[in-house]
Amino acid sequence: MDIYLLEAVINGILLGGVLALLALGLNLIFGVVDVIWIAYADIVMCAMYAIYFLYTGLSVPLPLAFLIAIIGAASLGVLVHLLIIAPVLNSAPLNQLLATGGLLFFLQSFATLLFGTDFRNIGVRLPVLEFATIYVSFARLIAFAVGLIGAIALYGFLKWTYLGIAIRALAQDRDIVGLMGVDPRRIYLVVSAIGGGLAGLAACLLALQYDVHPFIGNTFGPVIFMICVLGGLGNMIGGFVASFIISQIIAIGGYYSSTELSYVLAFTFFIVLMFIRPRGLFAR
Amino acid sequence: MPASRRTLLKGSAAAAAVLSLDWRRATAEAETVRLGVIYDLSGPFAAGGSVASSIGTQIAIELCNERGGVGGKYKVVPVNADSQSKADVAINEVERLINQEKIDIIDGVYASAHAVPLSAKVEQEKRILWITTAVATAVFKDKNLHYVFRAQIHSDQYGEAFASFVTEHAKAKLGMEPKDVKVALIHEDGPYGSGVAAADEAYSLKAGLQIVLKEGYSASAPDLSTLVTKIRRSGADLISHAGYNPDITLFLRQARENGLRFKMLFGAGAGYSQLDKLRATFGADIDNFCNIDPVPAQLLDPAKLAPGMGDLIKIMVERYKAKTGATDVPPHCSMGFNQTWVLLNNVLPVAKEKYGGFDPEAVRKAALDVDIPPGGTIQGYGVKFFPPGTPLSGQNERSTPVVMQNAGEHIAVVWPTNIRTQEPVFPLPKSSIYAA
Repeated sequence: MDIYLLEAVINGILLGGVLALLALGLNLIFGVVDVIWIAYADIVMCAMYAIYFLYTGLSVPLPLAFLIAIIGAASLGVLVHLLIIAPVLNSAPLNQLLATGGLLFFLQSFATLLFGTDFRNIGVRLPVLEFATIYVSFARLIAFAVGLIGAIALYGFLKWTYLGIAIRALAQDRDIVGLMGVDPRRIYLVVSAIGGGLAGLAACLLALQYDVHPFIGNTFGPVIFMICVLGGLGNMIGGFVASFIISQIIAIGGYYSSTELSYVLAFTFFIVLMFIRPRGLFAR
Repeated sequence: MPASRRTLLKGSAAAAAVLSLDWRRATAEAETVRLGVIYDLSGPFAAGGSVASSIGTQIAIELCNERGGVGGKYKVVPVNADSQSKADVAINEVERLINQEKIDIIDGVYASAHAVPLSAKVEQEKRILWITTAVATAVFKDKNLHYVFRAQIHSDQYGEAFASFVTEHAKAKLGMEPKDVKVALIHEDGPYGSGVAAADEAYSLKAGLQIVLKEGYSASAPDLSTLVTKIRRSGADLISHAGYNPDITLFLRQARENGLRFKMLFGAGAGYSQLDKLRATFGADIDNFCNIDPVPAQLLDPAKLAPGMGDLIKIMVERYKAKTGATDVPPHCSMGFNQTWVLLNNVLPVAKEKYGGFDPEAVRKAALDVDIPPGGTIQGYGVKFFPPGTPLSGQNERSTPVVMQNAGEHIAVVWPTNIRTQEPVFPLPKSSIYAA
């Protein structure tokens, strides 16, 4: 096998891990709360700024900065639910979309106002791994591993804990679940906190690979939204698999054609799939 | 003694006359030039040099006003607009400036992707678009524009500088004939990147260089690792990269992580000219990279420029540092300042004095009269616009880029050879983590 093609495939798998982690939180929230957080990637941006300032400004050790960012993002998730989502929970989907879209512009503008438009990075340099002239980014490898562990942990939590079962029950039928003694409002808050926390976790991994700036959400937002829709909105396993499909189309497509065309191929694949399976690959 | 009616009337008439005189003088004094100023003050282009350009423009306007305004008489009133790094917003903002603010002259424009549609729109509206920063040749090429002007260099010149530098030094520095030098041309896929890459390709082919890869990508792509792998596969000796930010930082980071090695990387301004920001991310890793762009004015020897240019450069540098707290003054500041200064000092006074006003027709005629010899601007080049009916009508025919090289905070001009301030370091020294 062409060694460079193999490297492209490996890089595609690692990119898939990053995208899967980002899609996980968005899918969880949509699956349960039934509202699309268009501003999800911008919560990641907020958490990346928190890591940057804690680590470079206040010299907080990086693991502690990560922990604070995850807790902060989880809190932000709760706040977003209470202030923006809860009031429009029973509104038309378009209104909900506009509300979270408004949040997107608010967060980007607020970050621009507070931090300016400069690109900032935490300056952590991780080693490069080389196996038989194939190079692998250590930061990407960590992101992939954490994405995988995060997905498995979330699956286990939803499958085997009481709270997880309650969350799944709410996702299946939000009208009936109250009769079983589950308080939907509490579950919504828990899900928003977990979703926010996953955004914080993604921020920890992205901060090792990307500069933070007010508009970094625009780099990932459209792709992860496409992945969630492709996998079936709200379907976490679907989103996980779709992340790797898209990342491989980008990697292999880019290898054989061009980087520009690889994204065209990914979006074409998405459009064709939407005609064949409008509710996504794994919709039930 | 009580005033008689006649005395009162006389007094009132005199007062009215004096007041009338004052009012006329006040009106004359209040005549201003309203200038639309459009840059990307938010979005990814903002930190890629657009804000630096806007500050350069702002300093030029302030300085002009401190010296009495245009021709020493007419204060300049900027009406600012933020194009938010989006072409549709740029078009809407220019629409607002023209139709709501009733502005005839628009200065600025950072991104070529905005300059292309804006030039067509402003030309159609018969207003003036004075481009300070966007470089794509496609803005002017074969468009026969009458109302759009650019003193700034154009993207074809990047390719010319790249190929000329390589052919001049290949044998002596690399020990290779130009025909054996393999080059990879990578670029963001907007008009700027595509324009630079097309010029790189044309001039490289003309110079006999081997083009082993030419590829574009979206500036907002989340991953460029496959591109890095393809450059490795191509075995390129040299890379020419036209990018903004954050794509440049993503590329360089992934290039390091994926083991890309080369003999030299040539940036084409934009993100590569934001040296302090790149240095904050990569430190000494980017030392000795080449960057092709109009020269930051402070690198030139003021003694070789027209009288007064040295003082202007000093003021611009001092004010930029005071406004931003930056230690480096990027070329984009010089671009914003220089082009705006030419407009305010070499075009508008002529428009008023010779052609009777600041209307687009007068400004257009005055712009075509401009004839500044080389050395007559702070960036060293002269200004003379190609006239209508020529392939690049509205573009400055005397603009020139340079090849710069940086080592830490020190930036040197290494090409053209006749004005270089340092012998080029070529190829990258072995100490560089990117060195082949």
